[in-house]
Amino acid sequence: MATVARPVRVGTGSPAGGEAPASSPAPPRRRSRLRRRRSLVAWGFAAPFVVLFLVFMAWPVVSSLFMAVTDIKSRDLRTPFAVNFVGLDNVVTVLTDATFHKAALNTLYFVVVGVPLTMGVALAIAVALNTGITRAAAFFRVSYYMPVVTSIVAVAVVWRFLYRPDNGLINEVLGWFGIQGPDWLGSTTWAMPSLIAMAVWRSMGTLVVIFLAGLQSVPKALHEAAALDGANAWQRLTRVTLPSIRPTILFGGVITGIGFLQFFEEPFVMTQGGPLNSTLSVSYLIYNQFGFGNYGVAAAMAYVLFLAIVLLTVVQFRLLGDRDETGTGRRRSILALLRGSRPAVEDAPVAAPRGGAVGPADRRDTEVPA
Amino acid sequence: MRTTTRVTVAALAAVTLVTTAACGRSDSPGTAAPSEGTAVSEGPATGEVTVWAMGTEGEKLGEFAKAFSEENPDATIKVTAIPWDAAHDKIANAIAGNQVPDVSMIGTTWMGEFAATGALDVTPDVVDDDAFFDGAWDSTEVDDVSYGVPWYVETRVLYLDTDLAEKAGVSPTPATWDDLKATAKGLKDAGAAWGINLQPGQTGAWQTFLPFAWEAGAEIYDDGTFSFDTPEFVEALTYYQSFFTEKLAPTQLPEGTLEPDFVDGKIGSFVSGPWHIGILEETGGEGFMDGVTLAPMPEGKEKASFIGGSNLAVFKDAKNRDAAWKFVQWLSEPETQAAWYQEVSDLPAVESAWQQGDLADDERLKVFGDQMTTAQAPPAIPTWEQIANVIDTELEKVCKSGEDPAAAAKAIQQQAETIGTGL
Repeated sequence: MATVARPVRVGTGSPAGGEAPASSPAPPRRRSRLRRRRSLVAWGFAAPFVVLFLVFMAWPVVSSLFMAVTDIKSRDLRTPFAVNFVGLDNVVTVLTDATFHKAALNTLYFVVVGVPLTMGVALAIAVALNTGITRAAAFFRVSYYMPVVTSIVAVAVVWRFLYRPDNGLINEVLGWFGIQGPDWLGSTTWAMPSLIAMAVWRSMGTLVVIFLAGLQSVPKALHEAAALDGANAWQRLTRVTLPSIRPTILFGGVITGIGFLQFFEEPFVMTQGGPLNSTLSVSYLIYNQFGFGNYGVAAAMAYVLFLAIVLLTVVQFRLLGDRDETGTGRRRSILALLRGSRPAVEDAPVAAPRGGAVGPADRRDTEVPA
Repeated sequence: MRTTTRVTVAALAAVTLVTTAACGRSDSPGTAAPSEGTAVSEGPATGEVTVWAMGTEGEKLGEFAKAFSEENPDATIKVTAIPWDAAHDKIANAIAGNQVPDVSMIGTTWMGEFAATGALDVTPDVVDDDAFFDGAWDSTEVDDVSYGVPWYVETRVLYLDTDLAEKAGVSPTPATWDDLKATAKGLKDAGAAWGINLQPGQTGAWQTFLPFAWEAGAEIYDDGTFSFDTPEFVEALTYYQSFFTEKLAPTQLPEGTLEPDFVDGKIGSFVSGPWHIGILEETGGEGFMDGVTLAPMPEGKEKASFIGGSNLAVFKDAKNRDAAWKFVQWLSEPETQAAWYQEVSDLPAVESAWQQGDLADDERLKVFGDQMTTAQAPPAIPTWEQIANVIDTELEKVCKSGEDPAAAAKAIQQQAETIGTGL
């Protein structure tokens, strides 16, 4: 139980930061006793949250970290502490495993093609819904959002029918034009693009909604001014609309990137990672390793994937983070969120000094008494 | 922010260190399992016995076990049905949380893994191991110690379109490897798109392939060492591959098309277990099975097939151990086994149960019964599922992308050695 007590002590005093003004001229001894009592009371109020957090958030993270650095396997189920500490051996095992390389490449393929494609399609639909289609807009919004709320298991059955080689709908249609379609899910070349198409279809709905919200916040006056200056529709899109919704695009890119890196359900229900491991993703491999009872290796693999997600997010911030002063509250709050929970991200210098704006997380933290 | 996070990170690291420092394997020799289980008390069973069972067994066992309660009035059997998909994790969690039932049905390929956790009770002297099919009993033994009792079995045979074979003028019951090849060719020439269906890799393909390796005389595992890289194993891989290179077997069969294609005569034959009798009758209509020949697997250097099924194991931490073993003993009596077959069509693991009722008279069942005597179980080691996955992957390369069988055998051997036995 020592494990539970430690983190509690860590933050002692931090919530008190907001209560006692730092410049209070009270005598030191009385002040410190008062402070201690106040902070005890504060912790009392915070206890329900803290306990829930430690049990349901911190404890699983600590256990998975523990698994990642030991040689724990299924045979240790009854005695999970009687295992050897192996340091980074599991990570080495993961990084030198040929199957992991294959899975990492597949995942990269899926992300590099899938994320821009999803965002592009979603943006196009959102722009169309925002400007062109005014009649039955609600109907279209619901239609595009439908795939997000339908169960993947049910959807998979339909998609498997679409992709069938001899009598599937896709090949049937191709046949009208005299094209002999491939065995989509059975070919090492086409299985991955098939899954990407399905993933794009499944995940664009959320992005359409987010982009629509972003588009509606672009001031009409900007468009009118640009139109008066002689900008055509395309120019207004690329010069006015896109820069204005850059924070929204960043947000969309980050959540889609995170979702796509954890790509699992599509191969699980459609191809079981085949043929010839051509659709095996990192998440699927982790799932398999847990199934084989290699808990240590699987946990290490999960942390490698986690690092990859952090890296991708950093890259996205570098690419899409604004270079001028169009940033809005949303972008900053994402930044604050990410910086608050993942301090290792070396993103700080990019974000911190701009315009003197400091996110709420930063403000609270700077007041923590040393 | 920095102070808080730094302290948090330090605390996390400290917690991890404290917990890891407290660990370490105990390698004392005293922990080796005894080879003989503790004796079970005499007399009728008493108290409540909790049983976990999967699938149809889970649904029907509760009612069936009333007969046991009649013989042992003080004992009640409480059966919990769990779905197959969730069973492995549920048993693993039960072991980890030490909340185990008294008895559980355990898939034969899981025995190694669960026995290695030390959660299963060593089989006491309640049953005679000679009463069971050899392959079935082998599946309960991990490192020469038995941790359970076979409950029911299944094995693989050849399903073949009789009319098509007659039309082609080939034997519907190929006796040797050459005969099987000739039959497959004949079926194809007689109008089938594919002469035979053999699973070309992906989950479970090893169950279709390993019989051929055993027939070729390959010994894949013996006493802690793997030997996949042998001429016999390569020979089997080469033979298996030839069905694909000669276009006698499909390299890609979309899910759910095997049965309708077989009914339509597009697939001439396939290798599968007893459950396909029911599926084919459902797809092809009543009486369809009359036109299907069931043939034993062809003979290579020896006869072989794959044996699957489920075992019954009692947990070490069972609350009612003695009664649990008595229940297991009752389930493996020949009469009970035969009655259980009537109930759910599970093929008995006890040989003498085959001498009564339908089991003795039915021609089709006889094929399975005969095949069972030569069927083999995969090695019961904790890492078997993982090694089987390696075989599936390499087999897929051999069948689909023409990998050299010798290279595949080498790759399987090397990966199996890296994975280890887990014992």
